[in-house]
Amino acid sequence: MKGVPILEGKYSNILDMFPIECKEFNRIYKFYNNLREGRFTTTKCKGCGKVSYPPRVICPECYSEELKWIDLPTKGKVVTIAEKWRGIPICFTPPLIDAWIQFPEGSPVKHILSRLINCEVGQVKEGDEVRLAVFDVPSHPMDKGKESIMMDRVFFAFEPVK
Amino acid sequence: MSKVNACVIAGGQCKFGVREASYIDMVQEASKACLDDLPDLKPRDIDGLLFASTYVGRNSCQVNPAPVVAERVGLKPTSICTRVDVLCAGGSSGILLAQGLVQSGMAEVVMVLGSEKLYTPERWQIQYGEIAASDHDWDAPQGIGPPPLWFAMQAKDHMKHYGTTREQLAAVSVANYKYGFNNPKGHFQNELTIEEVIEAKEIAAPLGLFDCCPLTDGAAAIIIASEERAKDLSGRPLVYLRGGAQVSLHSVTANWPGKHLGDWPHMKLAAEKAFERAKLSPEDIDVAQVHDCFSISQIIELEELGFCKKGEGGPFMASGQTNLAGKIPVNTDGGLLSCGHPLGATGIRQGVEIFKQLQGRAANQVKGARFGLTHNLSGVNVEHTIVTYGREPKK
Repeated sequence: MKGVPILEGKYSNILDMFPIECKEFNRIYKFYNNLREGRFTTTKCKGCGKVSYPPRVICPECYSEELKWIDLPTKGKVVTIAEKWRGIPICFTPPLIDAWIQFPEGSPVKHILSRLINCEVGQVKEGDEVRLAVFDVPSHPMDKGKESIMMDRVFFAFEPVK
Repeated sequence: MSKVNACVIAGGQCKFGVREASYIDMVQEASKACLDDLPDLKPRDIDGLLFASTYVGRNSCQVNPAPVVAERVGLKPTSICTRVDVLCAGGSSGILLAQGLVQSGMAEVVMVLGSEKLYTPERWQIQYGEIAASDHDWDAPQGIGPPPLWFAMQAKDHMKHYGTTREQLAAVSVANYKYGFNNPKGHFQNELTIEEVIEAKEIAAPLGLFDCCPLTDGAAAIIIASEERAKDLSGRPLVYLRGGAQVSLHSVTANWPGKHLGDWPHMKLAAEKAFERAKLSPEDIDVAQVHDCFSISQIIELEELGFCKKGEGGPFMASGQTNLAGKIPVNTDGGLLSCGHPLGATGIRQGVEIFKQLQGRAANQVKGARFGLTHNLSGVNVEHTIVTYGREPKK
């Protein structure tokens, strides 16, 4: 559509629903690098042992800055699922399917709300197993000196375990 | 130092709906409606302004709106002039803050004004704006921000754990639209039947169009004054702010504090704290305005507030307990479902309705109402805000 920058493929930071993930902008960039390797990770405090999700740069319990990256489960079971056909934000195509997913016993993160992708409406039922799915999201430009370079990005959803 | 009580002395709102007006136009309409409610009150009597708005920055490209608003409505604040942004609870947050400012002696007469222009010139931008309403880096990428999907899951969990039915959800919309029928300033003035609610187009099953509050433009204003100034300025019965609470236990949906999605412990805690501070119990409340952003929300809120037992919100609604003749009249001006939900203005609209109820001049009057309560949830159910009002101060 003419005159609407984002619909002409131009980037608009204030309308971006994905994080700015790169090292130059974000101290938890490692989360996204780990995603690229298929790992779903977060931070754990080396001092008090508190696991936080989402990842932090300080421990919210003891305020230590000594944190390490740990792996979270990449599979879980669907507790509740819902689909939405109308009022879908641009960049998502209807139906938007989201699920409340329970991680296995012992996981420091109990649940996650995630989009389900690579599936049809009605395909995934409550109790079904789903797994992490990492995908590319639109790159964004970033000023580097006098140049503007493109930064690649990824994000995650979950998909049915076939 | 003697204790200062804070009172509500005036309130009003502009017409809510899809408005051919900007946020700053509606701010002026609402402040006029508010001061017209108490003709002896003049702008020069008001020494503080709290302006509640969330999307003024994104949709109207105005950051730091408080001085803009003050100038346009003829205020020259000397105690406070600031913006409050708590999304759906911005107005109630402003009322709680005004109470604190007045009780501390920092301010004497504060206008709490909320305005939201949600209909951008191009409608495709609305859902883009709403994506900012959740924890941006973690929930927005999952398509959460526009809240119906999340609340559809909360409805499904409540149905699963407590046997709540589709008809019971619909009963909320029917009851609130019925109250809104005679409110000319609400978004809608029509009644609904259970069948119409159930057969309406689906938004996110089990929620249909009438289970969801609409997107609405609007503004509302309320005046909070010290008891001494209130007696000078108003000849009407005084309405006291008793006590409130605002509770936030998490932000990212993954950190949801409940046992399941139909269990809202953060709201239960807010209710306990508010009742404790107000020296009231659920049984004392004669009329309540709760945050019916969705039909399911009201059902769960009635439970967490203690108006009925946990899990019994559905039958409570279906048996008419929130009607004027019921156990606790709720959302007596139509609530969010019928009035619409201009975020920052909503808590103020609710406060104005309770204020009028306690003065005996509401359109759907609860006979002899002495104590009232308002509640908002905000964001994607990450925070709960409760304000209590009474015909007498806390002893």
